[in-house]
Amino acid sequence: MRIQIRGLSSRGRSIRALSAFVLFSACNRGAGARDDTANAISASPGQAAVSHLLIAGDSLRFVQHDDNLPVGFPASVKPLVIKNPYEGDKAAIITGGKLFVAYNCLDCHGADGSGAMGPSFQDGRWHFGGTPGEVFESIYEGRPDGMPAWGGRISNDQIWMLTAYVRSLSSKDLSTENFTGKTIERTGH
Amino acid sequence: MIGAVRGASIVLIVALFACKVESKHPAIDTTGSSDPKVTSTAAVGTSSVSGARIAVPHAGPPGEWQMPAGDYASSRYSELASITPQNVANLHVAWAFSTGVLRGHEGQPLVIGNTMYVVTPYPNVSYAIDLAQAGQPLKWKFRPENAQQAIGRACCDVVNRGAAYADGKIFYNLLDGHTVAVDAATGTQVWRTKMGDLARGETMTMAPIVVKSKVIVGSSGGEMGVRGWIAALDASTGKEVWRAYNIGPDKDVKVGPKFKPFYAQDKGTNLGVSSWPGDTWKTGGGAVWGWLSYDPALNLIYHGTSNPGPWNENQRTGDNKWTAAILARDADTGEMVWAFQVTPHDMWDYDAVNENILVDLPMKGQTRKVLVHFDRNGFAYTIDRATGEVILAEPFVPMNWSTGIDLTTGRPRVVETKKTAQDKNVKDICPSLEGGKNQQPAAFSPQTGLFYVPTNNLCMDFQARAVTYIAGTPFIGGNAPEKGGPGGYRGEFIAWDATTGKKIWGIKEPFPVWGGALATAGGVVFYGTLDGWLKAADARSGKVLWQFKLGSGVVGNPVTYTGPDGKQYVAIYAGIGGDMGLLIAGDVAANLPYDVRERGTTLPDIARWTSWGGELFVFSL
Repeated sequence: MRIQIRGLSSRGRSIRALSAFVLFSACNRGAGARDDTANAISASPGQAAVSHLLIAGDSLRFVQHDDNLPVGFPASVKPLVIKNPYEGDKAAIITGGKLFVAYNCLDCHGADGSGAMGPSFQDGRWHFGGTPGEVFESIYEGRPDGMPAWGGRISNDQIWMLTAYVRSLSSKDLSTENFTGKTIERTGH
Repeated sequence: MIGAVRGASIVLIVALFACKVESKHPAIDTTGSSDPKVTSTAAVGTSSVSGARIAVPHAGPPGEWQMPAGDYASSRYSELASITPQNVANLHVAWAFSTGVLRGHEGQPLVIGNTMYVVTPYPNVSYAIDLAQAGQPLKWKFRPENAQQAIGRACCDVVNRGAAYADGKIFYNLLDGHTVAVDAATGTQVWRTKMGDLARGETMTMAPIVVKSKVIVGSSGGEMGVRGWIAALDASTGKEVWRAYNIGPDKDVKVGPKFKPFYAQDKGTNLGVSSWPGDTWKTGGGAVWGWLSYDPALNLIYHGTSNPGPWNENQRTGDNKWTAAILARDADTGEMVWAFQVTPHDMWDYDAVNENILVDLPMKGQTRKVLVHFDRNGFAYTIDRATGEVILAEPFVPMNWSTGIDLTTGRPRVVETKKTAQDKNVKDICPSLEGGKNQQPAAFSPQTGLFYVPTNNLCMDFQARAVTYIAGTPFIGGNAPEKGGPGGYRGEFIAWDATTGKKIWGIKEPFPVWGGALATAGGVVFYGTLDGWLKAADARSGKVLWQFKLGSGVVGNPVTYTGPDGKQYVAIYAGIGGDMGLLIAGDVAANLPYDVRERGTTLPDIARWTSWGGELFVFSL
């Protein structure tokens, strides 16, 4: 089994290193993981679970962003409200955390998603929506401020596990800073 | 934190730093490093050096500021002398201008004739301001196309370090990897050339210089696995004249018959390949994001190169030439003439991109043509600028990773226990990866013969890990949480004697001094602080004579000019950001409702004192 990450790099050694890592992760999945995920995690994008895809013969539909829906217009198509098959799955969240490091997400979004070049995931705030479908879409399509589009480059299952992981980080209420509270470690570049 | 170090250790560290936050003097970090091996800077020496001179004259009339550093020598010295220690207390705001852009305002404005030119951080808008009219109306503003993706490809905020002027044109770099020329009179774009590849993490933030009708530029991206380069463009057409890589085969690096390095370890062929394992040199960093100098007599351009990539030294055994190095190149062809690797096989993120100040100094009875360089690694180097020989190198900030520089090889003697390694957490390394000094440029006064140096006093723990190269994403492989250095201060503005390697005086600051310096013939030196003060100090005594609190923290560099009314003015940007203001501070932003950050342990108190801004302030008597 070998993960396909076409277009990411021409350096075979690096890709092999990543595949080895993903295999390792798959082997260490806990009891909560679904039986088929070990296969799905190493599947090539073309073979990945199509049921989670946004397209698949339904190109007029879009992931629902509740805040963006116009009120009072009858809808001829129903937006997709898609569920993360790994939502709350502890083993998948752990794997997602490892993928977060392996795909260099960490150095943009900060240690434990605390924010660096890219935005924080710890604050319960989302630039492009925080529902599982919206987060999936951000990772899949990329975002304008430099977030790469990972769709078709890593498997959809991996994107779902990353989604589960970053959503699991978003628990802090940082609305008020009173200068006696906690601090976190940060690193410069 | 990296995943492997989560858990108990994080709790311990957070608990430790919580104490410091609750201290009675929140502006000053009193925790510091408890490492007993930390040594302080050199003892106080004599108060001036006579017979010192700047190697290259000020560009244009004394009342103008035509180059990023005022001259090719990078001295940041002005002959203007109306503002003196006696009258500086009367300095006041003459006018101010909002740039309309937030984030780190590194760099400085230019003044040519009666016009001031300002370049903002991304999206790199430029303004021409009419100084001759009351209210300082704009002559023009130029809003370049600039790919938004660049925001997330820039490691350390979306800064721009300024423009260069020549032949009626303003030249500067766009974050998305383009260099543009703008007609200084009309603001129309004359040419626009793609120089960097954003998809491979190449952004552009540095300030060009123009040498003999060529615009010299380089890229950023030492944290993105770029292969660093410096290039020359024809100033009239924008066509690339030459490009020299800093890593790779001699042909690419432009090592040929002219190359005469001073030290034995730098002689040989294709060292830019053989000092790397396999093909790791192709993603080895060595970017040119700092300041450039030029000596017309030797026809040499001097530039530094960034850290090697990734930070994890385990993935790139060897000296990793020519990263973390100072390189001298022929200005006409880009050919390398000498090279000095400041930190061979860097494993602490000690870029060598800081400015090289070209001066002629009396050393042991004879005048030496030198360049003086205050490196991230904490050593101040006085180097023969014709040959690359290190004449002296002494610590200018508290440090513990090296016991000194071996002058027979130019190499640092590295302390074993401070060597970083994959999957190890090496504690209490000083200075931190931000360096004893970073992008904030120093100044030199021929009146005192002293250098005026904004410094950092931070230490770090360094945790390296394996990382895979994925184009357009960070290629770092490490985490390095920082804390205040020994002594209970996190920055100091110092006066330095480069003939002896001694500190003459210092002004301790609660925060790293991330803004640059300006020296003037009036005997006053200026600098800005991260918490937003513009300060004026006596160049001889270091006594602070005047200070004014600006609307945002200062990471830019003061300049001085003569206005149409004949008065001397001092101009500076306020606008905290850069590595300190974005990554380290984290919580100084207020305009991003979707990105609210917790305070960092390094500067837990900075957001009490300032927040993001973007404003030009101009002062006069």
